[in-house]
Amino acid sequence: MVALDADADSLPIAFEGARKTRGGLTRARIRWVIVVLTLMFLTVAGRLIQLGTVVQDTSIEGRARDLITATRPAILDRNGLELAVDIRVPSLFAEPRSIIDVDEAANGIHSVLPDLNVDWLRGKLAGDKGFVWIKRELTPAIEDKIMALGIPGLDFLTESKRFYPGGNEASHILGAVNIDNQGISGMEKAIDNDDVALLQQVGLARGNDLSPVYLSVDLRVQHVMHDVLADAITRYQAADASGIMMDIKTGEILGLVSLPDYDPNDPVTALQKDAFNRITAGIYELGSTMKSVTIAGALDSGKVKITDTFDARFGVTFGRFTITDFHGKNRILTLPEVYKFSSNVGAIHIMQQWGKENFRAFLHKMHFDEPEPLELPEKRDPVVPKTFSDIVAATSAFGHGLSVSPVAMLRAMGAFANDGVMVKPTLYKTSEEDAAKTYEQVVSPATSAEMRYLMRLNATEGSGSRMNMLANGYRAGGKTGTAEKVVKGRYDTGHVLALFASVFPLDKPRYAMMILVDDPHTEPGQGGHTAGWNAGEATGRIISQVAPMLGISPDFDPMLDQNLVPPQLH
Amino acid sequence: MIRALNILLAVTSVCALVGVYALKYSVEDTAAQKSSLQRQIDRQQADLSLLKADWAFLNQPANVAPVVTRHIADLHLQPQTQDQFGTFSILPMRLKAPDTNALDSLFQSLNSGVDPIQQIIEESN
Repeated sequence: MVALDADADSLPIAFEGARKTRGGLTRARIRWVIVVLTLMFLTVAGRLIQLGTVVQDTSIEGRARDLITATRPAILDRNGLELAVDIRVPSLFAEPRSIIDVDEAANGIHSVLPDLNVDWLRGKLAGDKGFVWIKRELTPAIEDKIMALGIPGLDFLTESKRFYPGGNEASHILGAVNIDNQGISGMEKAIDNDDVALLQQVGLARGNDLSPVYLSVDLRVQHVMHDVLADAITRYQAADASGIMMDIKTGEILGLVSLPDYDPNDPVTALQKDAFNRITAGIYELGSTMKSVTIAGALDSGKVKITDTFDARFGVTFGRFTITDFHGKNRILTLPEVYKFSSNVGAIHIMQQWGKENFRAFLHKMHFDEPEPLELPEKRDPVVPKTFSDIVAATSAFGHGLSVSPVAMLRAMGAFANDGVMVKPTLYKTSEEDAAKTYEQVVSPATSAEMRYLMRLNATEGSGSRMNMLANGYRAGGKTGTAEKVVKGRYDTGHVLALFASVFPLDKPRYAMMILVDDPHTEPGQGGHTAGWNAGEATGRIISQVAPMLGISPDFDPMLDQNLVPPQLH
Repeated sequence: MIRALNILLAVTSVCALVGVYALKYSVEDTAAQKSSLQRQIDRQQADLSLLKADWAFLNQPANVAPVVTRHIADLHLQPQTQDQFGTFSILPMRLKAPDTNALDSLFQSLNSGVDPIQQIIEESN
């Protein structure tokens, strides 16, 4: 008990007053209220942070919206005419998760766009997706009709669609784009590779901000070439025809046509058989046009002179093979006669006098063994043997046994006429100063003067006379080539590739052209199916139409031809 | 004192409320105006792009050439030929000065009643 008492003594008993008790209770309540309010505010703040960090999904089927609405620069020809433009068109999309009545929506869309299947539409519109395309690239009229239906969950996005006003005309130059406006072939792809793809990636390519791209092409020249070559196909019942024209001072390609072609507004047609670009993606045995290269190289080496003569009385025999002339003269020919009569035997003798190693080295110097340097992505490696055996060198001297792009021959012809200066061809508009940076001196100006004489001689007296008759007054000249095609592993005289490599006007050379007519037949009432009759005539028609457009007026002064004759031959 | 302050605060907050709502609605209005203008611009740009494309199409040689071909017969059109080109240099130059002696003799014979041009015409008949 003592212990108990002692405890009772040490702890005094205290009572709290009613007011104090209530005050303590209030404080506790206030504390609880503060806790609850803090929790509420924390929840709100948390939710705000959560909302702030949510990334809005603006992508459309996994691709950024900017990429889909991206525009491309207009492509213009050298004079500012439109070759490719963007038009803004509405595309219909749906947000299935906000569509209330799927059947009503499907029937509504079907009433405006009857070519869409109702069941397919129902399948698309049902479900919980955030975005589905219904139909892309519609017209504003259809947009209005669908908006008038007032169906929730349907909306339009303005897309850019590529339009090629010229249709087929410049198809192989321009190429095509896919539905997402990315270049898939031709210059469209080349431009993408350069910079537009990057611009679209960073979202800058929108609206009308992109400055247009000027090509080197002259739409008028392009039209004439397209027209004449299409006519050549029917006139000579040819399988296909193609051609390319270049300004030999600037390297600008004024026209490039390859028939059959396709409509870039409907890119599927590009996949048709034979619609490939023959000029850049084709390699050919260029036949006698190669004699220009053989003779120019031989003359430039100094080992062969323009006054030399060559024995073309007999064929040249290599083992089992004997090479003879098509237009056999069977006599001793001067060098200009070898060119004029297109003597294979003469060309072989010229090459042999020059040396086959020198010939092969010259082909490398002329870039015949490299892919052509145009910007178009469609290209093919040429087939030129690394070293020449005797027989390959002999056949190469007149254009068989090696396959190269027509662009290589075009450059070479340009160089032979342009004081031996070879320029890099381009499809972009260029100035002469910029082009001068790519100049290569491949033969001497003296050789070039002799080549100009030979080219003109071939037009006035040789196989180019049909061409010269049509392009009279424009001082054009060049070399024909009739290459036999390989049919079932053998050369077939019935099936040939006719070529004409030309330059005009030869007193002040400015333009070079290559025309190819594949598998031509004799035009009814005309003389033959060799190149002079078809590729030559087509060249003449093109020159007679485009020369005035290019500011070349006809001149019939006989002194112009006389001035081309080298002094050694006077 | 406190009561006056409370009334003032209440009035201020009511005013602020009205002001904020007015601002909100006017901003919404402006935003709607802006988006409708934007739509109009988009629409006009789309129309413009179509018109430009139309013009480019109509202006193409590929489109013009068939029109010309269609009217060759009606308009008596012919392709140009090389001999139709000329230059200013082939035109004869104008005489430096009129031939005064010849003119004098012409006027003298006219005054004396003889018309040399009439004579030439009569002789040629």
